[in-house]
Amino acid sequence: MSSMDVPADLPKQPSAAARAGSAATPTLTWVTLALMTTSSVASLRAAPTMAVYGLACVFLYLVPAIVFLLPTALVSAELASGWSGGVYRWVAEGLSKPLGFLAVWCQFAMTIFYYPSLLAFVASTIAYIIDPALASNGLYTAIVIMVLYWTGVWVSSRGTKALAGLASWGLIIGTLIPGTVLVVLGMVFLGQGNPSAAPMDSSHLLPQWTGLASLVLIVNNFLSYSGMEMNAVHVSSLKDPAKEYPKSMFMAVGLVLLIFILPALAISWVVPADQLSLTAGVMQAFDAFFSYFGVGWMTPIAAVMLISASLGGMLTWLAGPSKGLLEISRSEGYLPPFLQKLNKYGIQQNILVTQGVVTSVIALMYAFIPNVSSVYWIFSTITTQVYLIVYLLMFAAAMRLRKSQPDHPRGYRVPAIGLVCTVGLLSSLAALAIGFVPPSQFGTGSVWSYVLMIGGGLTVLGLLIPWAFLKFRKPSWRTAAAESTGGPS
Amino acid sequence: MSPTRFASEHKWIYIGAIVILVGMAIAGLIKYSTVKRDTQTAAKANQLSEDLVAAGYPAPDTETVEYVLGTDGGAVCEDPGSALTTALQRIQQLTNGATGPGMRPIIADTKAIGAERIVLQVYCPEKVDDFDEAVDELKTDDTVRR
Repeated sequence: MSSMDVPADLPKQPSAAARAGSAATPTLTWVTLALMTTSSVASLRAAPTMAVYGLACVFLYLVPAIVFLLPTALVSAELASGWSGGVYRWVAEGLSKPLGFLAVWCQFAMTIFYYPSLLAFVASTIAYIIDPALASNGLYTAIVIMVLYWTGVWVSSRGTKALAGLASWGLIIGTLIPGTVLVVLGMVFLGQGNPSAAPMDSSHLLPQWTGLASLVLIVNNFLSYSGMEMNAVHVSSLKDPAKEYPKSMFMAVGLVLLIFILPALAISWVVPADQLSLTAGVMQAFDAFFSYFGVGWMTPIAAVMLISASLGGMLTWLAGPSKGLLEISRSEGYLPPFLQKLNKYGIQQNILVTQGVVTSVIALMYAFIPNVSSVYWIFSTITTQVYLIVYLLMFAAAMRLRKSQPDHPRGYRVPAIGLVCTVGLLSSLAALAIGFVPPSQFGTGSVWSYVLMIGGGLTVLGLLIPWAFLKFRKPSWRTAAAESTGGPS
Repeated sequence: MSPTRFASEHKWIYIGAIVILVGMAIAGLIKYSTVKRDTQTAAKANQLSEDLVAAGYPAPDTETVEYVLGTDGGAVCEDPGSALTTALQRIQQLTNGATGPGMRPIIADTKAIGAERIVLQVYCPEKVDDFDEAVDELKTDDTVRR
């Protein structure tokens, strides 16, 4: 690679956090970053659910991969190979600085509600191992969420390298190894001459079409790949970002597809769809799978593995969006100085702690609000809606940057970027629109009240709060340290 | 901070994580008791199979059913009507294929809910009412091609 291919701003202008002491020299390999990206997005948790759809699960993952995963991966590969800092920088450069803040705010705000739901799953899996009765105990769930979250904050505050290792090992131990076991057992099952439990003929390639419900299923699966761009915020931790980030992204795309599709297929070969439905939960489905082979004792081990994968994934989310939020806030003064403070490892500890307070409050809701399920589903839908704003801004910024800065050095250029971004934009808009269709949980409720709740949440969390930060910011919030780093110009 | 001290601190994080996970795995293995198959588990599994077939479902593998559900329905019968159980344990039945932050509720398959009800009828009939109350308002559709 010639020196011209290397974005001038990458190695020469380290981020604010890096200057503060976190990572002046490369701290991540591209393989580690690929594992972190995969860990952020994919695990085996959905395998039993998707196995119910049999061969159609391939369609349900591949179509969203073509219309959403590929555009997201390709575009973020180009942008990260040209600009450091992640989504806030891309949108700030391509559209405007306030929109850059909006993008990273949405990416960050979404995680506030993501952690409780992720950790509640971990709590129920731990309960499965120790005592299944605990799964319906709100106080237990709240305590587990808080303990795990604050432990995650502590680990994250030790620096990017600490969490990168744990996240990578979490993926290997919690997803790649058990995923391989599932696939091997599935192949053994077929190799023994057993017919596949789910029909594997061409008539089962497509999912059942029932109108709106099928559309909701297909379009919502676009979101299976959300988060692929998140770890781009660590691009300056690579030795040669322009060359290594695209490689890292392509490896992650391959891993994510394999993790989603193959284990789900393997389960569908062995356990009939209707039998999967007999078991109310992920671990029970794995129990049915392993019990078929007479190795039911592997279920608690698989549970521990899934826990490690979930916690590894959480660590990547703790480190990513908050770092982006910090960087644009330091350079533009979008957040109060208290939230911009770094610890001795250069980590945005106060942002994480503040986020932890909100997460703890949400966790307590599990303990004290009896009908938690309604709250839970509303939150999960609102957060995915908020996240889609990030993608809308990212695709728009990518198209704009190609026109406004065509000669800016990029390590990778997306072919037909206009088409790729248009497909990504339309997919994001479709997912946004489908988010307003009431799911099963709101079966008998008013459609309009659901639309109002989701729209209201989207407006408050995704627009009003970031607008308030922009409106009430003070010149003094812009820190001198960041002004000199050559942030978004 | 010197690299040596930095690595040393990471080492303890790794060791701590390994100890906790291995400890949980051992606890799980001790706790996990493979259901002894006997006439009772077989009778329950056969009854479930008959009820499922009568309701239009294919017959399940009764041996696997015996292992997973035993005589008491296992985790399926563990407070099936509680709000938290509804919210968390059925997370996988009622969501899309995401495992990251894109996880979102969908319109679930009708038969998925119906099958669980039949399990409860066979293994813990006293909890069917709670379950019905919890899932009564669920909107479902036939989204799985059979």
